[in-house]
Amino acid sequence: MSAKNSVNISFSVNGENFDDVTVPTRQHLADYLRSQGLTGTHLGCEQGACGACTIEMDGKAVRSCLILASQANGSSITTVEGFDDEVMEKVKNNFLKHNAFQCGFCSPGMLMTTKEIISSKKKLSRDEIRAEISGNYCRCTGYQSIVDAIEESINEIN
Amino acid sequence: MKAPDFSYFEAQNIEDAIKYKSEDDEAVILAGGQSLLPALNMRLSSPSCLIDISKINNLNEIKIEGDFINIGALATHSDVMNNDLINEKLPCLVDILKMVAHAAIRNKGTHGGSIAYGDPAAELPAFAVAMDAEIVLSGLSGQRIVDAKDFYLGLFETDLKSDEILTAIRYPFLSHNQHLIFDEVCRRHGDYAMAGLMAKVELDQSKINNLDLVYFATGDKPNVAQNTAKLVIDDGYDYEKLKKSLASEIDFAGDLNSSSEMKLHLATILINKILNKLER
Repeated sequence: MSAKNSVNISFSVNGENFDDVTVPTRQHLADYLRSQGLTGTHLGCEQGACGACTIEMDGKAVRSCLILASQANGSSITTVEGFDDEVMEKVKNNFLKHNAFQCGFCSPGMLMTTKEIISSKKKLSRDEIRAEISGNYCRCTGYQSIVDAIEESINEIN
Repeated sequence: MKAPDFSYFEAQNIEDAIKYKSEDDEAVILAGGQSLLPALNMRLSSPSCLIDISKINNLNEIKIEGDFINIGALATHSDVMNNDLINEKLPCLVDILKMVAHAAIRNKGTHGGSIAYGDPAAELPAFAVAMDAEIVLSGLSGQRIVDAKDFYLGLFETDLKSDEILTAIRYPFLSHNQHLIFDEVCRRHGDYAMAGLMAKVELDQSKINNLDLVYFATGDKPNVAQNTAKLVIDDGYDYEKLKKSLASEIDFAGDLNSSSEMKLHLATILINKILNKLER
């Protein structure tokens, strides 16, 4: 029983296995992913407020700035780079159609949150969509076009 | 905004975690980490070691035990919100958790973590106090149960001893004439409240028989307003009178979003909001 300053972990990202990799104990999962070239996961506030670093871990949306890489041991992770299924293609097209991007910094987190909204199978009003994305900051486009894209995605898919 | 250096120990069972914690005063428990990690990132905390208890089995169970609903410390907020037993027996908790941060944080943050962290602006410590919950602590000498109202001592300060780990929270059932009503004022959905109120109301027909008022985001811990509750029972809502009473029994502490005077105002009008909800 001893504590260490680095740990060896195994997990999968977008279907690719990372076996027995050594990570510093203080390293955040977001930083590890970015160090592996998966820079679609963005780091904004690094305190859980902005939502840009949202990823999917074992089927649930989580903040990768508030998770240590060591905590990801044994998990299955999907980042925005792994969004190649039919559902997410539709969502991405709706974001493009409604111009729900400007600088694009918030987009990976917005797409992740949209995925979670759609998987809940709920029909949401525009106000409810706004409440659901309240944990994701956009600082340029404005939320109108993002809500439009999410609303159309819900109607199209669910 | 990166965490300072610390060592890391992944506990396989509760005994190992307790033993490790008892040997290192500077070690802290990591459960969901949704309050601890921001504190580390902002360098508000620099523990020697994080003892990760998140992989310990059976600490996330939600079940009925005698007269209580027992929520295991590691149940996430999402687990609690989606649990059938909670939706049936304690639906007010589901509504309260909707106000706690955002889905991605609720998927990871734990019930026990929020109770043990003792953030005065968080909903759950005030909820536990208002509900007369019992906090189950496990340490070297066995299990100890503390009433939630005695658990919170001051700013982020609790009765948790250095060899103890919070393992469960036990909520008594509400009887048919008891209601837990809450409200809060915040700037953005999911943000910490500027002021919030948990009220346990006991009704006799439509008359209030008993009332407990527990505030959050007002002072250094969940603030119980006993005298003010009595005034509400006797005289109903009178802004000036209740404001004066609250000022005398709670030491309001301002923060970046709201001054102590503003919190006092919000605390007063929250009583009216609660009473209006009760009438509906």
